[in-house]
Amino acid sequence: MAGHQNHLKALKDGVANLDFEGVQRAAEDAMREGVPPVRAIAEGLAAGLAVVGEKFERREYFLSELVVAAEVMKTGMSVIQPYLKGEGVKARGKVVLATVRGDYHDIGKSLVATLLSVNGFDVIDLGVDVPAETVVEAVLENRPQILGLSALLTVTMPEMERVISGLRAAGLRGRVRVIVGGSPVTEEFAEKIGADYRAADAVDGINKCMEWVGSTGGVESG
Amino acid sequence: MADMTYRERILTTLHGKRADKVPFVHLWRRLQTGEAEREARNRCMGVSWQRPCYVQSMPHVEIVERRGPSVGQSTTLVEYHTPVGTVTERLKKEPGVGEWKAQRSWRDVTPWAVERRIKKPEDYDVVRFMVEDTVYKADYFPIEQAKGWLGGDGIIYANLPHSPTQMLMIDWVGTPTFYIHYARHRDKVEELYRALDRRYEEIYRIAAESPADAVMFGDNLDGVLVNPNLFQRYFMPTYEKCARIVHEQGKPLASHFDGRLGILKDLIAKCPQDIIEAFHPPPMGDLPVREALDLWKDKVILIGFPGSVFSLGTDAVRKYMLDLLRSVIPGDRIGVEASTENLVSDEHLLVLSGILEKATLPLSNESISKIEHFLE
Repeated sequence: MAGHQNHLKALKDGVANLDFEGVQRAAEDAMREGVPPVRAIAEGLAAGLAVVGEKFERREYFLSELVVAAEVMKTGMSVIQPYLKGEGVKARGKVVLATVRGDYHDIGKSLVATLLSVNGFDVIDLGVDVPAETVVEAVLENRPQILGLSALLTVTMPEMERVISGLRAAGLRGRVRVIVGGSPVTEEFAEKIGADYRAADAVDGINKCMEWVGSTGGVESG
Repeated sequence: MADMTYRERILTTLHGKRADKVPFVHLWRRLQTGEAEREARNRCMGVSWQRPCYVQSMPHVEIVERRGPSVGQSTTLVEYHTPVGTVTERLKKEPGVGEWKAQRSWRDVTPWAVERRIKKPEDYDVVRFMVEDTVYKADYFPIEQAKGWLGGDGIIYANLPHSPTQMLMIDWVGTPTFYIHYARHRDKVEELYRALDRRYEEIYRIAAESPADAVMFGDNLDGVLVNPNLFQRYFMPTYEKCARIVHEQGKPLASHFDGRLGILKDLIAKCPQDIIEAFHPPPMGDLPVREALDLWKDKVILIGFPGSVFSLGTDAVRKYMLDLLRSVIPGDRIGVEASTENLVSDEHLLVLSGILEKATLPLSNESISKIEHFLE
């Protein structure tokens, strides 16, 4: 069991230090030595990600490191995944994301998608320049708990309101929380159009999504 | 004393001296033409025009553009075939008559990459070949023509592209992928950065020797995306190099820093730019103008009026502008740009010009209160 602890620490340190090769090696060693895959994820990779979050809070790490940590975690997951067999990793929640019609800005939305994904969310990214009707259809089809809308232009912000109106018209508004973001989007605007929250930045948005879904997701035995 | 021409007012401010009033400009590419625009122009609104100063070609790169049923109708697939390989990108190009993107005119705007040319590590070598193969040739006609047209109504910037690292982050790789490539394939990223940095010296020189009034060097900077480590290591040396060349010709150097700058504020203070253009104070940015002026004592700040305030209506625009003037008393080293982002409504253009035509320097609480009373 002490050996298991060493492997878990190696996984945790690998993610925390953004070490792709280290995590790959640690994950292979852990699986070879019989560390239960669910433990390897929860007490190794996810624990490392928590350290990354703490470093971000202390401004030792920045957004770039959060994105890299997400990729490092994926590297470890790709090794562990085949060993999960009957065990499953339950998604923390489901989120539909879109940059609204008329707007081609993709950086903010893509960052949010990456960070949500690594934090255990099932993410459906509809892309950029997405018409309100398409967003509403995606909510109807996928039944997410959260819808995230992005706009970087004041002239495309009204599209967010159209999406929310569309959700109301389709009887879906009560079933999904709507989070809006993008540099011109203010709290006042979010309130005016009936969104649930305005994210100041990607990390703020992720934290709010985590708060909304609570700790119901995560790893469970299958 | 007679009022300065708009051109004199802007240039005096850009050179760090006190003008007669706070300069107010609109970007040419955002400028509507009509009654309200004429009224605003008659009051005080000058024109700021960024013009290209060179043409470029790649003699050993075959470029194939495709559009149609197999690649989609709304974007253009561009293939770059080089002796060391091929990269592709997908662009939203300048729309035709009657087509607008998000109600923004695409005049002077480069195509929008919806799929960027660097997707995997091998693509860096191909793009580096393209960078090294590029031939730059000075072409000052766009600047001379604009200068002739504007006369005393405004100023011309010689436009440079994004700085090398922003070129990668924004244009060629995309920020999230850039972070990952930088972590995993730093040698490739740095090789391309160095190639761009080396080749750009030519265009810095072309811009510096142009007949423009100032040089605009990108850069769409945002401190959330560009962290202090990246900024210090890859941005500041580039700015130093560009500034040295531009300053040799006696021109001021501006950079388009329109994002959240709080985390970079101390490093920006050490940068050689003379003008921070499109500076966005809260609510869109995270650094108040007063704090920026106090920190950046040798820089002029051109404030990009925050688009989110426009969305709150005329009264909010008026209040914001008056509060902003109060925050920068006595008003030296600042100018106001109507918007660097979108078209501005006629109503808002008239509100801003109505205030700024009376913003005589030096500003004081008393003079701003007078403007406020006049507007009531």
